[in-house]
Amino acid sequence: MSRARTALAAGALLAGCFLLAAPAVFGREPKKAKTPRSRAVAANFDVRLPVLGTHLSDLPPGPAKSVIDQACLLCHSTDMLRQQRLTEKQWTAEVDKMVKWGSDLPQDRREALIAYLVANFGPDNDRFQPVITRPVGK
Amino acid sequence: MSSNFSSGGWNRRALFAAAGGGLLCRPVLAATRSTKVPVEEISRERRRMLQMNAYAIEAETPLDALTTYLTPNDLFFVRHHWNPMYPGAKTWSLTIDGEVERPLSLKLADLRRLPRTTVTCVLQCAGNGRALHTPIVPGVQWRYGAVGNARWTGVSVADLLKRAGAKSGARHLHTFGSDRPPAKVPPFHRSLDLEKAMGDAIVAYEMNGDPLPPLHGAPARLVVPGWAGVHWMKWLVRISPQADALTGFYMDTAYRYPNSPGEPGVPVPPAETHPVTVLAVKSNITDFPSQASAGIPAIVRGFAFSGAPDIARVEVSDDEGATWSDATLDTRHDPHAWRLWSLRWTPRRTGRVSLSVRATDSRGSVQPKDAQWNPSGYLFNGWHSVQVEVRA
Repeated sequence: MSRARTALAAGALLAGCFLLAAPAVFGREPKKAKTPRSRAVAANFDVRLPVLGTHLSDLPPGPAKSVIDQACLLCHSTDMLRQQRLTEKQWTAEVDKMVKWGSDLPQDRREALIAYLVANFGPDNDRFQPVITRPVGK
Repeated sequence: MSSNFSSGGWNRRALFAAAGGGLLCRPVLAATRSTKVPVEEISRERRRMLQMNAYAIEAETPLDALTTYLTPNDLFFVRHHWNPMYPGAKTWSLTIDGEVERPLSLKLADLRRLPRTTVTCVLQCAGNGRALHTPIVPGVQWRYGAVGNARWTGVSVADLLKRAGAKSGARHLHTFGSDRPPAKVPPFHRSLDLEKAMGDAIVAYEMNGDPLPPLHGAPARLVVPGWAGVHWMKWLVRISPQADALTGFYMDTAYRYPNSPGEPGVPVPPAETHPVTVLAVKSNITDFPSQASAGIPAIVRGFAFSGAPDIARVEVSDDEGATWSDATLDTRHDPHAWRLWSLRWTPRRTGRVSLSVRATDSRGSVQPKDAQWNPSGYLFNGWHSVQVEVRA
């Protein structure tokens, strides 16, 4: 699963790099995206709206960091974690809600995850800044 | 991919590809932009968004870009519960069923052939200002800009339900979008009072004269003037009058507001709450000088809105609320739209001066100094204050 996801990510990145580089390399607009997949996704993207790119800032180091990818990041970007300022009680309630809703968190990592979240994104967390993005077309 | 939905919706890696695709298309499609409604320009340096989440996409508008009566579509705040599944415009249809004599299924072209209704009103996320509540609560940490004012065009819900022949026993309008939650997350299905929906809600397919953008619910969404954004179902595929309200997490647990003010930080049992509906009276400052000189007038501007149809008064204080000066309200207005306001302010003393604004709506509600804390951080409307350095 992990290998497949990595391959997919690499493929998407490669495709993205190729498509971005194409006009410069060939001196003209690319005719079409190379795969039905990327074409379908690109067609969904409304260029009159902000290009809200992905922003995967590094999460602070910690013993539970490795479990976050499988437990949290399928549905949330790291921003969602990094902007919270919650007490241990609040984090515990959030983690348990997400497990109930299908988060892939092994039971033996639950406490470590909560401890990590409280340590890094507790009530005194003031490090989060939104990413400034600019709409296109102007 | 030949189904009704053109996006699988649930692979975050696919979103990375989407971002690349967006960049790719930038120079090609920018030229096709058309603006049929004159939306005032925002200066280039102010044209930006504050992105709160990469996926599902969430972004708020900086206050200094909320200076126009109509908020441009591409600067309008974006809020999702999860990665959307966009309906295809050609295969999309709106189903009207439930307590009706004649269930209907309308294609976009059918909808466009029906009598058009246009409303100009504020859309604000229920959680706008969540980050400003103390103590802090979980959720997207919106500050000021999960709000905008737009001109929405579509077909009135009353017209649609009249065509379908809504039965007299129906009291609630159940609403469904095309998006689907991941894993075992409950679906975002909502219902609202049928009376309100029949009163002034519309099924909108245009936003500021352009086709409704995908991020904002294309091809059609619900518009519920004066009510929080949670009722404005995006990617609308079905509306259904029913005798009873819908049940589920997003009705019974989330998007609820305490019946009476409680102690900050203390949980409130669901039985002592009601659905968050009507917006609270609120104003913000969008333009002010960071530095000014005593005795020399400076211009302060902003916007004000409420769940009431209009704003009656906006006042600014430079002495922590001891005295207030009336701002001038812009003449442009529509029911439940915001009012732009401005004030020629002459600093009276030097030093660091705090400017605060408060609004009063057409029903007499006055914006409070402190918002009412509630467990989910909804409807923050405490005074907005900015700091000005006044020199001699």
